[in-house]
Amino acid sequence: MSERRSTVDVSGLTTVPFGHRSLLWWGSLGFAVIEGFTLLLMIASYFYLRTNELDWPPGRTPNPDLLIPSINTVLLVLVIVPMRMADTAAKRMDRAGVIRALLVAEVMTIVVTTLRWWELLALNVRWDAHAYASAAWGVVVLHSTLLVTDVFETGSLIALFASGKARRKHYPDVSDAADYQYFLSAIWVAIYLIVYWGPRVL
Amino acid sequence: MHPLRALGRASVPAAAMLVVGGCGQAMSAVNPAGPQAERISDLTWYLTITGSAVFLVVLGFLAYAVRRGRRRTESAEGPEADRAMARWVGGAVGVTTLILLTTLVYNFATGRALADFADPDALTIRVTGHQWWWDVQYVDRAPSRRLTTANEIHVPVGRRIRLEVQSRDVIHSFWAPNLHGKVDVIPGYGGSTAFRADRPGVYHGRCAEFCGLQHARMDFLVIAEPEEQFAAWFEAQLKSSAPPGDAVQQKGQQVFLSKGCPLCHAVRGTQANSRVGPDLTHLASRRTIAAGTLPNTRGHLGGWVLDPQKIKPGAKMPPNPLAADELHALLGYLQSLK
Amino acid sequence: MSATTGEQAGAGLLDAAGRAELERTWAARPGLWGWLTSTDHKSVATRYVATAFLFFLLGGLEAMVMRVQLARPENGLVDPDRYAQLFTMHGTTMMFLFGVPVQLAVATYLVPLMVGTRNVAFPRLNAFGFWTYLIGGLLLYGGFVLNTGPDAGWFSYVPLSGPQYSPGKRVDVWAQTVTFTEIAALVAAVEMIVTILKQRAPGMSLNRMPLYVWAVLVTSFVVLFAMPSVALASMMLAFDRLVGTHFFNPAEGGDPLLWQHLFWFFGHPEVYIMFIPATGFVSEIIPVFARRKMFGHTALVLSLVATGFLAFGLWVHHMFTTGLPQLGQSFFTAASMMIAIPNGVQIFCWIATLWAGRPRFATPLLFVLGFVFLFVLGGITGVMVASIPFDQQAHDTHFIVAHLHYVQLGGFVFPLFGAFYFWFPKVTGRMLSETLGRWNFWLFFAGVNVTFFPLHFLGLMGMTRRVYTYHPETGWGALNLLATVGAFMIAASVLVFLANVFRSLRSGAVAGDDPWGAHTLEWETPSPPPPYNFLHIPIVQGLYALWERTADRPVVTGMITHRREILLTTVLDAEPDVRYQHPGPSIAPLLAALAVGVTFIGGIFTTWAFVVGPVLLFPALMLWMWKQSPPAEPLTESEQPA
Repeated sequence: MSERRSTVDVSGLTTVPFGHRSLLWWGSLGFAVIEGFTLLLMIASYFYLRTNELDWPPGRTPNPDLLIPSINTVLLVLVIVPMRMADTAAKRMDRAGVIRALLVAEVMTIVVTTLRWWELLALNVRWDAHAYASAAWGVVVLHSTLLVTDVFETGSLIALFASGKARRKHYPDVSDAADYQYFLSAIWVAIYLIVYWGPRVL
Repeated sequence: MHPLRALGRASVPAAAMLVVGGCGQAMSAVNPAGPQAERISDLTWYLTITGSAVFLVVLGFLAYAVRRGRRRTESAEGPEADRAMARWVGGAVGVTTLILLTTLVYNFATGRALADFADPDALTIRVTGHQWWWDVQYVDRAPSRRLTTANEIHVPVGRRIRLEVQSRDVIHSFWAPNLHGKVDVIPGYGGSTAFRADRPGVYHGRCAEFCGLQHARMDFLVIAEPEEQFAAWFEAQLKSSAPPGDAVQQKGQQVFLSKGCPLCHAVRGTQANSRVGPDLTHLASRRTIAAGTLPNTRGHLGGWVLDPQKIKPGAKMPPNPLAADELHALLGYLQSLK
Repeated sequence: MSATTGEQAGAGLLDAAGRAELERTWAARPGLWGWLTSTDHKSVATRYVATAFLFFLLGGLEAMVMRVQLARPENGLVDPDRYAQLFTMHGTTMMFLFGVPVQLAVATYLVPLMVGTRNVAFPRLNAFGFWTYLIGGLLLYGGFVLNTGPDAGWFSYVPLSGPQYSPGKRVDVWAQTVTFTEIAALVAAVEMIVTILKQRAPGMSLNRMPLYVWAVLVTSFVVLFAMPSVALASMMLAFDRLVGTHFFNPAEGGDPLLWQHLFWFFGHPEVYIMFIPATGFVSEIIPVFARRKMFGHTALVLSLVATGFLAFGLWVHHMFTTGLPQLGQSFFTAASMMIAIPNGVQIFCWIATLWAGRPRFATPLLFVLGFVFLFVLGGITGVMVASIPFDQQAHDTHFIVAHLHYVQLGGFVFPLFGAFYFWFPKVTGRMLSETLGRWNFWLFFAGVNVTFFPLHFLGLMGMTRRVYTYHPETGWGALNLLATVGAFMIAASVLVFLANVFRSLRSGAVAGDDPWGAHTLEWETPSPPPPYNFLHIPIVQGLYALWERTADRPVVTGMITHRREILLTTVLDAEPDVRYQHPGPSIAPLLAALAVGVTFIGGIFTTWAFVVGPVLLFPALMLWMWKQSPPAEPLTESEQPA
């Protein structure tokens, strides 16, 4: 039975959306908000615990070292460059470009993740010494979980594209990974300043 | 007397039963025995009466609305109906806001009055919360006039009391509702509150923050008495324990000193001076034992000493199996510690 | 590339073959494997709701035992250790395993239908959320059964819950249960936000979005910002206990109040996470049973948003007796009172709508009326305890127990039951019995009042919370006995409800698509809805979609049926924007949840779990992201090789 129905034909719409037109962009944003807010609360706790002490770090604990943390921070900021290139390549649907850029970014991020262990040692105190130590370790370890997630995400994208199994719908995922990287690096700059420079100022 | 206060004093809330006998006044936040609790009680009555009125009015509107609606043959639609409803809703929101603001102001005023109760002449008492008893210390500049006791606090009627609280272990909360609101006892923090008892009486208090297995049995008494009585009590408490009066008490003291009691308890005048558990120097002068758990009688004391775990499972005091004659002597000694 | 309209008769509408293909594409796989791999939001959500309800029953049993223990002074039914476990389990179950999950689960079922789409935004993630939640619940009850259930209260104050005063693994079980349930809640919140913002049917601009959807959107944002706080706090507690950190240890610079701040920063919004969707239920039920559009739609939306924001400004009212500076505390008094204003706006608009409409009594409306009574009463005691001096007497007594149960049972559970009666026909295709419904309601309503009203007095008479017994001389016996009688009435009402459900599932009246004459999109689908929800995505023409559409009932055409395709629209105006292909069912979400389970349950015992668990997670995630269904011709652009 045919009936008079008005219709809207959507067959002409794209199936490869970038940016805020894609669902994954919003999902990533949601998770960035969650992770960012958790870090914010951890940092707030760090400052809250500060109010319980006369000195910061308390007692004979020395200030954190600056050398390796500073190098690592610069590295983590520089990763933005190859990730931006990957993003641009993805929007051009340039498979080779994506793989190249992601590889560079992944190598750099792995270096940063490895050096992250020495950044923890640079705190010059074990996590179980006192509340300052627990808070400082807490902030850095929390960020490290994001870093590890990032290594995994970038690595799996490289594998996907390099193996030839990637499809066009995976290009926006590369852009999402780039956005996540920017967030990761930006938030680390704040943490670096608070945890490594903060005790010299607070 | 203010009518609200008369009302409050006269009518302990519906179905409440008064505690009778030697245990003193019923605990009640609306039967105040001092100005702090009184201010709060007045606020309580205001809040209850205002709140009940608001509740009845809102429910009345709901009932009316449903009845009116059920009598309709068609819904009230259109801009006129919407305007009328907007006026009513707006008005209701306005009245709500006004009531809330008034409540806020009254609330702040009461809070201010409660805080402005400090007094340099106040008698300062420092209470330390333990799992599951209260250490009580009367603060004084002269060390010889610092009294240490446990679970029973005496105060002179009409004098301001400054109460400082601290914790030896977990978070507790010190609460004697007839006298004042509660103050949390938090490790790492020094809390304080101030109150005054305006009439003599025995006021119950208890711990008001879950602190472990025997949170339910961590009571205390605040006994308000006239100045001379308080002074007499205080002087008597300051004295060391009297030496044992007869052979039984002497034997009892030996049992006390040799069976491990001094590991936790202090009795001034003997070698026992541990601060781990309650001070027992004047144990026999107290009305209850085990932080308000049992009346202080020979029978209860005996049962408690033999096996505290039966009465207060989880308490830090272990069972003390004693032969009958040892127990008899020990009780004779403990009951001499007036 | 954009959408084009067509006015020809039957232009682009699915024929029988198209419909068959749509059914094949969206069908779950058969049997147990299908159940384990399903990514249909309805299948996941019904399981989620049923599990949450089971926890409600368990939490209720715990409450019954406590009430029997307290019915007489010096009662010996349970010892203090068991009692401590009972009240901790009751609170933890009701708040973490029932309250928040059931609201998010109901939303997971209803929202995609109500906004006119086929599934939630991330179907596999949705399944993962459910499995994670289930593992958390099993952990808590497994611990309880093995006598390792938590016993430090549902908000687990330190130092009591710290390593020194709570040795063993009991509190660790609690802390990790929180971790699982909080992950599940965050997942559900992200799903709801993205589904609501990006998948609304064409024409459902923001000002045509139903009030329940608004409520879920606001709630989801509250979840997003509240859950991280408890996640952080519970991890700090777990690490204090496992690896010797000192976040809460005052002897080494830590702070017991840090716990309270972090916990209540979550804990207060949490009650609004339960309450705000309940107001959404009320806002959907009232227009249908008053047979009139809701008065004050804009005011109601603004009230929802205001409540969501204000919910974050109240948390210190749980800490009024801790000795924080008075000036700071006063701010929280003011905020705690001010939140009554948007709540009041909602109540007054609802009353106005009933007045202007023609109310017909049915069980859903009865629960709404009961809700108003109970919630206003609870709200008033809420304003009372917002006053610091009064709270200094009432805090940690049974007055608070009374208050919280009035606002929780009254403010959230009553609308939830109303929602059950309202939407049961849609979910199951059968009507619940009206007669049993009325018994359910009246027993429940009377029971709540008989149980909890006396507790107000008990609190002011000195009965503190979490006490396993009391002296006869206190005089508390009579009111406690009365409260216990009430508890049995509540239990009876729940039994009536269960009887109603089981009977109606078997022999209830067949519901049809729209038994109530309602207006939201889910009532357009068959009862129960097919896996793909709508044969054609509807086009929305007004706020009351089914009451305000034109006779030709416009729909979307041009979507493929051989892949799970959904339509994305723009955020504000819901204009068609993108055709998006979802992956199909998969076992990966369950495997991933198990790996997360290994991580956090193992984490109770050793830090190596935090290495082993992620290693196990890796292959599960590979399976999740990489294993695609084999490409089916014709390929969409998104499936062309990169």
